[in-house]
Amino acid sequence: MSAVAGRASVLSTLEDAVAAVHDGAVVGIGGAVTDGHPMALVRGLARRGVRELTVVAPTAGLDVELLIAAGCVSKVVAAYVGMEGVAGVAPVFRRAVQEGAVGVEDIDEGHCVAGLRAAAQKLPFYPWRGGVGTSYPEVNTEIVAFADPLRGEPLLAIPALELDFALIYSETADEFGNAQVAGTGHMDQLLGAAARHVIVQVDRVVSNELIRSRPERTWYWRDARVVRAPFGTHPYSNAWMTADVEHLEGYVRAGRSGGEELAAYMDDHVHAVADHDDYLERVGIRRIASLLI
Amino acid sequence: MADYTIPELFAVLLARDFRPEDRTVQVGANLPMARAAAVMANLTSAPDLRVLLGLGVNNLAGGRPAPAVHPFLFDPRSLTGEALMVQEHVFDDVSRPDVFFVGGLEVDRRGNINLFGIPDGDGGWKVRGPGGVALASMSTNCRGYYIIMPRHDKRSFVERVALVTALGDRQERERLRLPGGGPRLVLSPLGVFDFGEDGDMRIRTLHEGVSLEQVRESTAFPLTAPTEPGRTEPPSDAELALLRERVDIEGTLAG
Repeated sequence: MSAVAGRASVLSTLEDAVAAVHDGAVVGIGGAVTDGHPMALVRGLARRGVRELTVVAPTAGLDVELLIAAGCVSKVVAAYVGMEGVAGVAPVFRRAVQEGAVGVEDIDEGHCVAGLRAAAQKLPFYPWRGGVGTSYPEVNTEIVAFADPLRGEPLLAIPALELDFALIYSETADEFGNAQVAGTGHMDQLLGAAARHVIVQVDRVVSNELIRSRPERTWYWRDARVVRAPFGTHPYSNAWMTADVEHLEGYVRAGRSGGEELAAYMDDHVHAVADHDDYLERVGIRRIASLLI
Repeated sequence: MADYTIPELFAVLLARDFRPEDRTVQVGANLPMARAAAVMANLTSAPDLRVLLGLGVNNLAGGRPAPAVHPFLFDPRSLTGEALMVQEHVFDDVSRPDVFFVGGLEVDRRGNINLFGIPDGDGGWKVRGPGGVALASMSTNCRGYYIIMPRHDKRSFVERVALVTALGDRQERERLRLPGGGPRLVLSPLGVFDFGEDGDMRIRTLHEGVSLEQVRESTAFPLTAPTEPGRTEPPSDAELALLRERVDIEGTLAG
């Protein structure tokens, strides 16, 4: 044993990282609407066939769709599941919820911030005013209306959103788990703070020296692994790549049809895919290159 | 008289309605007419406005080029401006967004909005909507918001929404001590509506070629109306020129 220990790397293969996610886990997924979702991790998780997940996804879309289509999800906690102009409501989510196969706990984006903060601060709930007088406590019975004990004002108690895992995306990180996003980061730092374990998908693993050159941008958590998956937000965007509208339109057609068409999409992009590099080969370098800014 | 589309009309009507006390405007997904309105106001009557478009916070006074309209709100090419819009921090200062815009599956007589969907009465969903996004938090706190309805029929203008995602009812808002100003206007393809002292929706103006009878037949509740409702002032040549030549350059609203 050396007198001065070296610092341990937290780099992981994608397969090893998602293997830790157990059946019944509460999994937070980062990103917002069409940007910055850790899609390579999501596809890896869907391919593994984990079951009975509760997915906490602030403003979600294809991430939640793929996990539902692969049979991994029992409950979705989200403020939005759709694809903006491409699909007002995500098709597989809509069908699964209307058929009762998947449960939903509706939250507002503000509730999501509040619930994650409560979890990060080891509090049972966070008080919130947004949604007072609405149907939130009715559609999500976890949310409880109460009178503020100091001034008697009507408020909502937003329960802590305690996560077992947070799957998030960052453009860069070093091998020690120091992440630096190039975009806005959405709610992702907070998602990590609410989780026992964080898995960060990155496009680039950069040197610790580069991280140190702009320390004000660094995020870190108690327990994080870093997985390198270049272009891994596809078909969603990151700070360097736009979303693949054509791919999303193709998915939505398959998702709305269901049955064999959806099964074919899932085979081609999830189940029959060997690994992330295989996924990229299937998408094709010309398509990826056309999306780069 | 110039021809214009309904989205172009919405953009002009919204741009006209900005108030001097409006300092920050936040535009959500899928509302390009609201984005155009904020940019138009910033370029003309409201040079101090901060406009949150996609991932960036912008001010366009002094002849800065207006940001392009992309198919998705959070397009990474919107990572420009004088600050960034970070979801986690939007709610840290709830007095900041003065103006917000909402669409809905349903709006009712009292100005309540439903984006959840239609429940089946048995704990499940007959029609599942996309979710409430940030509507509840924004509508509770912001100085005022605009309800933009792409359709006007008895299924979208209802007596009482199936579920409330955003509380518009003036009397309920007062009773519950909500700090924000509530809904300012409702825009539909048929007219412009607001809310009276009693909190009921009323006709403010009817668009060109729309009759009072037509609006009444398309609305599932009795609308309050003056004996002679006014006409919506159509977009002027100058307003349309500004919109088309400097704001909606790619013609997103013209189609």
